[in-house]
Amino acid sequence: MNTFWSMSTGSVRKRPDAEEKTLSGELRTSPLRASTKKQLPSIPKNAVPITKPASPAASSQSTNGTHASYGPFYLEYSLLAEFTLVVKQKLPGVYVQPSYRSALMWFGVIFIRHGLYQDGVFKFTVYIPDNYPDGDCPRLVFDLPVFHPLVDPLSGELDVKRAFAKWRRNHNHIWQVLMYARRVFYKIDTTSPLNPEAAVLYEKDIQLFKSKVVDSVKLCSSHLFDQPKIEDPYAIIFSPWNPAIHDEAREKMLTQKKTEDQHCKSMHVSGLSWVKPGSVQPFSKEEKTMPT
Amino acid sequence: MERMSWLSKLTPRAGGQRAPRSASLQPPVTADPETCLMVFKNHWAQVLRILERRGSKPAPDDLSAVRNNTYQMLNLLAEDRPRGDGDRSQGDGDMACGPILEFVAAENLLEQLLCWHLQGDFTEERKVEQLKLYEMLISQARQPLLRHKAVLTPLLRLLSVCAEPASAPLENSLVLLLNQLCVSVAREPAILELFFHSHTDQGPANLIIFSLLIPFIHHEGARGQQARDALLLIMAMSASNRTVAQSITDNSYFCPVLATGLSALYSSLPRKIEVRGDDWHFLRREDWIGVSSLVLFMNSLEFCNAVIQVAHPLVQKQLVDYVHNGFLVPVMGPALHKTSVEEMIASTAYLDLFLRSVSETALLKTFLRFVLLHRHDNATILDTLVGRINSNSRLCMVSLSLFRTLLSLNCEDVMLQLVLRYLLPCSHVMLSQKRAVRDLDIYGKTAAKFLSLIPRCCRPESPPPPPDREEEPPSRARAHGSPGADAPPAPKPSTPSRLSFFMRQASAAPPEAAAPRSPGPPAGSPPCAGPRDEVAELDRNYLEYLRDARRSIDRCAWACRVWSAPYDGEDPRAPGPPPDPDSPPARPPGPPTPRTKKRGLPEEGAREVLGGSLGGDEPGVGGSGPDPRDGGTLVNGAHTAAEPGRPEGDVVVKKVRRSPQGEGEGNEGAPNGAPQAQPPSWEPLPSVDSLLEELLARAPAEPPGTGVSIETFTEELREIEAEMRNGGVGGPLAAPPEPPEPPLSREEEEAFASFAALPEGDAGAGRVPSRPPDPLAQVVASPPRAVGPPPSQPFTGPFVSVLFGKLENMPHNSLYVNFLLTGLVAQLACYPQPLLRSFLLNTNMVFQPSVKSLLQVLGSVKNKIESFAASQEDFPALLFKAKKYLIARGRLDWAEGPGATPALRRPDTLARSRKPSLGELLLRHANSPTRARHAAQLALQGLRDGGLQPLPPLAPPARHGEALRVRNAVYCAVIFSEFLKELAAIAQAHAVTSPFLTEPPEE
Repeated sequence: MNTFWSMSTGSVRKRPDAEEKTLSGELRTSPLRASTKKQLPSIPKNAVPITKPASPAASSQSTNGTHASYGPFYLEYSLLAEFTLVVKQKLPGVYVQPSYRSALMWFGVIFIRHGLYQDGVFKFTVYIPDNYPDGDCPRLVFDLPVFHPLVDPLSGELDVKRAFAKWRRNHNHIWQVLMYARRVFYKIDTTSPLNPEAAVLYEKDIQLFKSKVVDSVKLCSSHLFDQPKIEDPYAIIFSPWNPAIHDEAREKMLTQKKTEDQHCKSMHVSGLSWVKPGSVQPFSKEEKTMPT
Repeated sequence: MERMSWLSKLTPRAGGQRAPRSASLQPPVTADPETCLMVFKNHWAQVLRILERRGSKPAPDDLSAVRNNTYQMLNLLAEDRPRGDGDRSQGDGDMACGPILEFVAAENLLEQLLCWHLQGDFTEERKVEQLKLYEMLISQARQPLLRHKAVLTPLLRLLSVCAEPASAPLENSLVLLLNQLCVSVAREPAILELFFHSHTDQGPANLIIFSLLIPFIHHEGARGQQARDALLLIMAMSASNRTVAQSITDNSYFCPVLATGLSALYSSLPRKIEVRGDDWHFLRREDWIGVSSLVLFMNSLEFCNAVIQVAHPLVQKQLVDYVHNGFLVPVMGPALHKTSVEEMIASTAYLDLFLRSVSETALLKTFLRFVLLHRHDNATILDTLVGRINSNSRLCMVSLSLFRTLLSLNCEDVMLQLVLRYLLPCSHVMLSQKRAVRDLDIYGKTAAKFLSLIPRCCRPESPPPPPDREEEPPSRARAHGSPGADAPPAPKPSTPSRLSFFMRQASAAPPEAAAPRSPGPPAGSPPCAGPRDEVAELDRNYLEYLRDARRSIDRCAWACRVWSAPYDGEDPRAPGPPPDPDSPPARPPGPPTPRTKKRGLPEEGAREVLGGSLGGDEPGVGGSGPDPRDGGTLVNGAHTAAEPGRPEGDVVVKKVRRSPQGEGEGNEGAPNGAPQAQPPSWEPLPSVDSLLEELLARAPAEPPGTGVSIETFTEELREIEAEMRNGGVGGPLAAPPEPPEPPLSREEEEAFASFAALPEGDAGAGRVPSRPPDPLAQVVASPPRAVGPPPSQPFTGPFVSVLFGKLENMPHNSLYVNFLLTGLVAQLACYPQPLLRSFLLNTNMVFQPSVKSLLQVLGSVKNKIESFAASQEDFPALLFKAKKYLIARGRLDWAEGPGATPALRRPDTLARSRKPSLGELLLRHANSPTRARHAAQLALQGLRDGGLQPLPPLAPPARHGEALRVRNAVYCAVIFSEFLKELAAIAQAHAVTSPFLTEPPEE
């Protein structure tokens, strides 16, 4: 695939240096380097704790009402924490990006690399209920209804509920939903389908099913460069390869590793340790391994 | 004579002083080398005639003739160019000698000259002359001279003649020459070999340059600096030359001199740091730069640091060892254990300064090893220092600063010794909870809990205005283009725009600050803004706390990536068999669920819990204490009974009491009849009342919302300032450290009480009379108690217990102690290690009943503040006043230095950058009264710039002890609330620490 996909130009241009210093340097760390596969741009600096719970009462904490004003921070931070967990999971081929307007809406794209849906590139949006984490499970809706037993042929919504009948805080996390969304393309389940036609074909006429899937994958690819369905500065946009923009970005990604190493060496803000691994005695490390 | 004049035209330099090279370039270039050689020979012939007149004493005329001729000759030699230099194609490796140099070598002319000098009366003056000549020769030569024996040998001989101590001019010339030699050698390291191979009077293989320089290591002024620079050059050469390194370590006294020199210099440091500002707590550069003895010490320490930076590992190691064994152990150790409090303060502040100044890892390691492992009088330095936190306010502050420095190193070994090793066995948590150590609180529950501890009396009178519903929200994202979203479950008010939210956060800040707020303080709001607005802003600065927390945690996590283990409860494992965690308490193991237990007592009703589980009981008092297992022996709050059998290392917390626990809970905490009840003692005496009345009369009278004129405001601040200073423990400059009779501040009383182990109860003013004559002597004399739980009991370590003890005492601590204390705890809370994080911040964890949690401690502070507020009628006015003062102070700091204080509400920055009083730091031995005056002027200037005028301290009224007590409590209420926000923010930020922490967080 020679299309280089990039986040919306909005998200790139929206981060001039002036804004870099804003709020807590949220994830300003370039995501490129944690895993070279994940290419999520930073969460915008000025976009962090905003998503107000719809009503203060819904914010989980403020039983006495006194601290209702902190409610938004809890929700926003919970979602940020969820996002952090997603990133830590490093789900292969899955990318998400919270929207600019609401932390409750995440844009995503999934690349299928093997199996029936190979070469599929499916954009989707995750909707998180605003009484999260106490509400229902998040919804995941594909931009284009992929031909799949568990995807509603009209709305494009994936049947997430079957995996998360009851959303339990502390146990369920959004990365699980994303993982599930990836999994359904590799392990096809046909019970109580949202798309009965797909289910039946899969069971009865796998060849026809396959060709329909291929059509569906093609259709999705042909719409890859469409404007995003939801207008948002952080929506995920694909564009044809444009050397003016992409060459530099790719170069940056490829060189990231080196500069990182150099950085480590020149880094002054480093902690100290003379503890031998496995030991709990101070200064147990041998002299020669002494950091210099 | 004619020729002479020509010659002087040829080399127009005067007096043998260096002229810039370019200046002397022109004439020689035009001069024909053959002519120069002829002139040179001519001079030599004249000199030789005198030299050969043996036997008879040289006449004065002879001397000056030789001098003049030599001078001319050496100038010519310096200008001599190697043959074939014209084409410059040859490298400087194998250049043939210049004609003059050739002649010099053939005649061994320099040697002959020197011999002649040595035969006669080689006075110092003549030595200086020779040294200067050689210095000129070496520095200006146009060809490498030192590699020629004919130059090197006489030079070394001359040097060896100058080895004895001598007058300043001689030493100056000597050091200058040596410096020059080192520069040359650094340029051409091969020469170094020659220095080794030349046998001189000094003995074989002795680097004479080196041994001559060593005595000047610690000298002050230019001479010392030149000597150190020169030595540093050799050190740098040693890095790549093992022979040099070995010669330094084996055949020179370099390392011992350097290290023990530190000891000598240390002994001349002021024993007592006299400061006026009651908030002084650490030595800043501007504090010590005018104190010559300290400057001298710091120069040498910096030199050590530099040597370790550039030298060969052999030298490095030897020096580091000498610093440890020749300075730290024999000098620093005893200094830290001096018996007078003043000396303790000074030595602690010095140690802190040293730790902050050392940048080389190897040297820092030595310092840390000393602090962590060295035992003095059976206790490690670390334990002693930990214990000091619990002492009177200045010593406490200085010690807190030291720990701030230690924590900021992000050093695994330090953290291991301070906290982690006590948490490693996980015996502080219920067995069933061990797995929860790693849990992250992603829903902000901990934050909510901390915030709920903000005392009711400190909450904004009216909750912050609800989100502005009028604002046009951007189209609801969810309704937009989401196919299935047509019917959201229940239509709810929409999300306000992000921007407007920030506007509200930024409050009075200028509009452009709305989105990205630069690190400017909230005080960035115009100074003329109504004080009410500013004060109200304190209620809305949570976002900044979040930002700061995020930054600190990221930085800390980044720094800790070099650690050997994650400290997550699994790795590393605690050494030895883990103690059975459930045996000591009579309690059954906790329920398997990590759900909250009502330990945190967020609100009402929790008091009973507190009272029940923490109720006062003074072990050993009257025997009426409840069964210790019932929670009386709050172990990390330190066990009061001496435990002789304790494992090594856990010593020294002299006595950490759970401070007046009864306060919040009424009187039930005083079974022994001691007046433990806090409310009565909070009752302000009438006199105090009136004083405060007087002081604060204006504030409440202001119609809310109207801006106060700056003048009025300034006036008020002045008064508060004066009052602060007045009550400050520092006292006026000349005051003896501890006047025996005048009433001590409550804090000192507290501190003393905790040291002297008086019964807990008489915390009130009533106990003053019972004070023994010299409390400090007692403090010091009282043997360090081995304090801790019985071995079977979980113990979270002396550091935690001292901090918690001090925290619990917050309402009685001075403002500055609380700044530092809360800053330190916040620093601790930023560490990402799950063991530590869960201990401090996981409010869902169920601890062993004997282990006190941070939440419990904070809960008890909250109760104290609330009951104080209830007893103090004008509390709201006082609180308002205190906030105003703190904000003004923050602005003052901010106005003074760029980059000084990022934000006023940050406790430690607030305290840290208090220039007006810090600048006034006068060390007793500061030799220059002008300096003192200058400092005072600066301080004054600072105050003026900040719009404040200092007031001379008022004569302390007898009642000021009470006023101080009230003031401390009111300030505490402000700091405490801010601290809770800070902790809440830290708790939240832990959940979102970037997984991308592969690049250093920005500064």
